[in-house]
Amino acid sequence: MDLVIENLPLENGNDLLQQIGADNARSVLQYLETPADLARISAVSRFWRHFVAENQCSRGLCIKLFPEVSRFVCAFEIGQQVNFEGASLSKVTEWKNIEREHRVYTQLARDLMEPATENNCIQHPISASSTDIFPDESIMYTLHPSAIEDDRPSYWSSQGESNSDVPETLTYRLSSRLCVVHEVKIHPFQAYFQMGLPIYSAKAVRIRLGRTRSSTLLTSGMLDGMMSADRSASEDYVWTYISPEFPMQQEDKLQTFRLPKPVLCIGGILQIELLGRVQRQEMDGLYYICVCHARVVGRPLPAAYDFEALDQEEKYILKYSDRLECCGSLSEDLSRGSSEEYEAGGSSGWLSLSERIRRIRAGRVLLWNQSILKALLGNIVAAILMIPDDEDSDGDDDILRD
Amino acid sequence: MAELPNTTMANECKVKLKSKDDKIFEVEYAVAMQSQTLKNALAHTGCTDTALPLHDISSQILAKVIEYCEYHVNAANTISEKDVKTWDEELVKHMDQDTLFRLIVAAKYLEIHNLVDLMCKTIADRIKDKSVEELREIFHVQNDFTPEEEEQVRRETKWAHGE
Repeated sequence: MDLVIENLPLENGNDLLQQIGADNARSVLQYLETPADLARISAVSRFWRHFVAENQCSRGLCIKLFPEVSRFVCAFEIGQQVNFEGASLSKVTEWKNIEREHRVYTQLARDLMEPATENNCIQHPISASSTDIFPDESIMYTLHPSAIEDDRPSYWSSQGESNSDVPETLTYRLSSRLCVVHEVKIHPFQAYFQMGLPIYSAKAVRIRLGRTRSSTLLTSGMLDGMMSADRSASEDYVWTYISPEFPMQQEDKLQTFRLPKPVLCIGGILQIELLGRVQRQEMDGLYYICVCHARVVGRPLPAAYDFEALDQEEKYILKYSDRLECCGSLSEDLSRGSSEEYEAGGSSGWLSLSERIRRIRAGRVLLWNQSILKALLGNIVAAILMIPDDEDSDGDDDILRD
Repeated sequence: MAELPNTTMANECKVKLKSKDDKIFEVEYAVAMQSQTLKNALAHTGCTDTALPLHDISSQILAKVIEYCEYHVNAANTISEKDVKTWDEELVKHMDQDTLFRLIVAAKYLEIHNLVDLMCKTIADRIKDKSVEELREIFHVQNDFTPEEEEQVRRETKWAHGE
């Protein structure tokens, strides 16, 4: 079905909403708070359907609730036929593109607003800033809820420091590259085998969310090395969200650190910063931090979503595909242990997409131009998107440079 | 060009406004200053006895605008934010659609930003949780989808209509 622009009425008789003017209408729609309300208003008439899509109201709603979404410069619906009519886009085609983007953001708004469904979104620990005795006190043990596992203590310990201000970090990979995080729960470790039953908590906690830099592909071989090494991995990550500091109690219980509002993690990496030490070990007089268990409460977005990073600009492209839902999912890939694919975003075809897109400035209008799109996408991905092959794709970078 | 009124004059100056239907309203200078449009106009004319004509605003709507501005000027430092909010809510609570929409147009023209925001929020509140049919009725919108288009739109947003 095409909603052909020519037949769109400029005025719909007595439509009160139209009479208040575009600016006011936009302001009114900005006060709506649910995707359902937007969906219903856009089902009222052709004008309203067009107005809601053209003014990116769904995107606006996502950003209102999740400011991180503003980092997506555009949204692709993968698997839909992208129509082109000659070198210049007709109004019909442009409208279809607007509609497509509208659909992705409408779906995203719905998925973002779902309550937290997962009690633990951690898929895999990546590294700790330091570890006292490896592997006995490795970060791996923070996955187990209890302090004792198989008759032995189960906890992570930092190395000792004489300065109580030295912080530590625990870095984890979440179960999905796009994941809404609501809260983090941490259980500091009480050394039940030491005199005085000391609790090695931190003074405060801070949470960072982000992604690995595209140049660092985490293979499973590297992971073991990272977990045993004394290293701060901050240079390998790009943080898109840093929480406020939350005070931590020196208590032997699972403590909840709730983010001021749920945050979308773009990249699937979560880091717990443990700030300040409170407990000395009697034996050596050094300060340690030890964690018995860590857990992330939130909602991984369905496998139909993915993204590409546009490198230094901290901008991304959002991808959505119904196909991925039925033909296997990213989470299945992950369970097969395919770390490289996780980081590259599913297949080498997508890696080449981000390479090309890296060269352009963020600009939604640019991307709809056919020759640019072909230059960006290359043949593999163009085939997936079913772009007709009847035009010359010169892949000319001059087009991309404004 | 007349000079800008100084503070003393401003306190004594009365501003005259003429509605579409030729009714004259007199308001305090401070009240008129709530409107950016009037503020700009008065910067040119100074305090004048001539009524400023507001060609598109009826006396009924102008009265409501003045009521709003007068309350907010007086409330500025004396009434709690919470009470002001309650008063605003009462103002719009039983307002009919027609008045609501004419008021937002007037507020926009006069550039009274708080009033515009209040109107937008009120209209949005009346949109929330309504079914598509109710929305069409409330806002006098004609359904101009073909039956096929209507079906497609419904299918795409089936989830919204069940709620």
